[in-house]
Amino acid sequence: MAGYHQNLDQQQAPAFFARGPSPLARLAFFSALSLALMATDSRLQYLGSVREHLMVVLQPLQLIANAPSMLYDSTNEYFSTHHRLLNENQFLRKQALIQAISLQKMKALTLENTNLRQLLAANQSLEEFSQLGEILHVGRDPFTKKIIVNRGSNQQVVDGAAVVDAKGVIGQVTRTYPASSEVTLITDKSLTIPIQIERNGLRAIAFGHGRDNTLDLPFLPANVDIKPGDKLITSGIDGVYPKGLAVATVTDIQTSADSPFARIVCIPTGGIENHKQVLIVSISQPDNPANTNAAANPASNTDTVAKTTATTKLESAQAPVNPAPASKVPTVQTPATTDTNQNKKPVNPTPAAATEPSTTNKPHAQD
Amino acid sequence: MHKTKLQTIYFSLLVAFICVLLPWSGTALKLRPDFVLLVIIFWILRAPNKCNIGTAWFIGLWVDLATGGVFGQYALAYTVTTFVAVIYQRRLVLFSNTQQLVYVLLLLIISQLTLLTVKIFSGNDVLGWTYFLPSVTGVILWQAAVALGLNTSRPSRSK
Repeated sequence: MAGYHQNLDQQQAPAFFARGPSPLARLAFFSALSLALMATDSRLQYLGSVREHLMVVLQPLQLIANAPSMLYDSTNEYFSTHHRLLNENQFLRKQALIQAISLQKMKALTLENTNLRQLLAANQSLEEFSQLGEILHVGRDPFTKKIIVNRGSNQQVVDGAAVVDAKGVIGQVTRTYPASSEVTLITDKSLTIPIQIERNGLRAIAFGHGRDNTLDLPFLPANVDIKPGDKLITSGIDGVYPKGLAVATVTDIQTSADSPFARIVCIPTGGIENHKQVLIVSISQPDNPANTNAAANPASNTDTVAKTTATTKLESAQAPVNPAPASKVPTVQTPATTDTNQNKKPVNPTPAAATEPSTTNKPHAQD
Repeated sequence: MHKTKLQTIYFSLLVAFICVLLPWSGTALKLRPDFVLLVIIFWILRAPNKCNIGTAWFIGLWVDLATGGVFGQYALAYTVTTFVAVIYQRRLVLFSNTQQLVYVLLLLIISQLTLLTVKIFSGNDVLGWTYFLPSVTGVILWQAAVALGLNTSRPSRSK
């Protein structure tokens, strides 16, 4: 009972004297502060460096938090059976052999390509600079699709670098910290990736769907020449992703009578949520200023998601500016459709069919 | 006699924060309770003179940093939640265990709703009902903690 009285004292004495401003005042003050912070962080880029510095403080805590799983992994590795290692060794040897063959071909092709480009006096294709990163953890925000990898600006990772695994593109570096960087996956709603259909060279832009792990190909006409099973590869015209990497496979195409556009769903090829190791590919070395696509690989690390996606969107928005007046396509113009029309010319020698597709290709799209 | 030390509060918040930093993934990530908010609610109810809306706001900023989202989202959610918690803090003494659980569930949902509102304003999709699962796991964790002997009312009272 005596204790109870003490409790009452303790609870009520500060209520009058030590509690300070009323809860409502505090609520108003801190809410206003939060809102101001949100506005500053999303509209202005002041807080980028603040975030970087605070991340350095967070680093040791993150190390502690990662320690148990790291320990588990390493002991697991230690106790992995002889048999399993032998199997894996055999598999890897086979894979190395297969890849060695394609690598040899690739070398010859690269040489040939350089020679041909020199003959044509064309621009050299951009050099790639890659490094291996390990996924530290999955992004904690349920609204976005992100991963954090253990390479940062200390290891010359730059904003905008492409992130690839053994099977295909998985995303793009959107924020770099000193010892880690944040990768937005291609399935994130804010990420777009310029692609090309492997079968016919059709160019388009894939948007992350956000909720489930799929990609969308919006703004393509209902009669577009895409079939389920088509492979999407990077087109390389953005200066961010190296050309020809696998991105996704088309799984479903739906057309409806009330919409001029097809609804195309693709599943990413890369093991977006399965792997531990990823490859971070910057198209040119960060210390090389002679980069024609400087806009895509900004030198400053304070860039934010908004800015990088803005660049991509800007590119996609600017894409139709050139072909639109030249080809004079009559119907509704979206970035992707003009892009395809422009692109069909080299593939398909009859551009008339490409620019007037509404009548000629209709049965073809429905099979 | 019985006094909660500031160190205890900050240490428990640190531990909760490290729990958030653990490499959660897949289903575990979807089910992950908001450890930090649970600890804040606990201290708000137990030691309102030591842990208040300002503490919640400050910790919210760190959670924002850890999630990588825009600064201020979690801070705002925690501020609003702790405000509701503080207002009803006095009445909590009269609550039974079950009532307290419902109350905590409500608080957790308020936090998630605030976050959802902010996110929807910044152009995100609604995630569906699974979005609220962390609140449910949070209440389960709360009940587990109560079963283990943690109590929001002072220990001397029950004895």
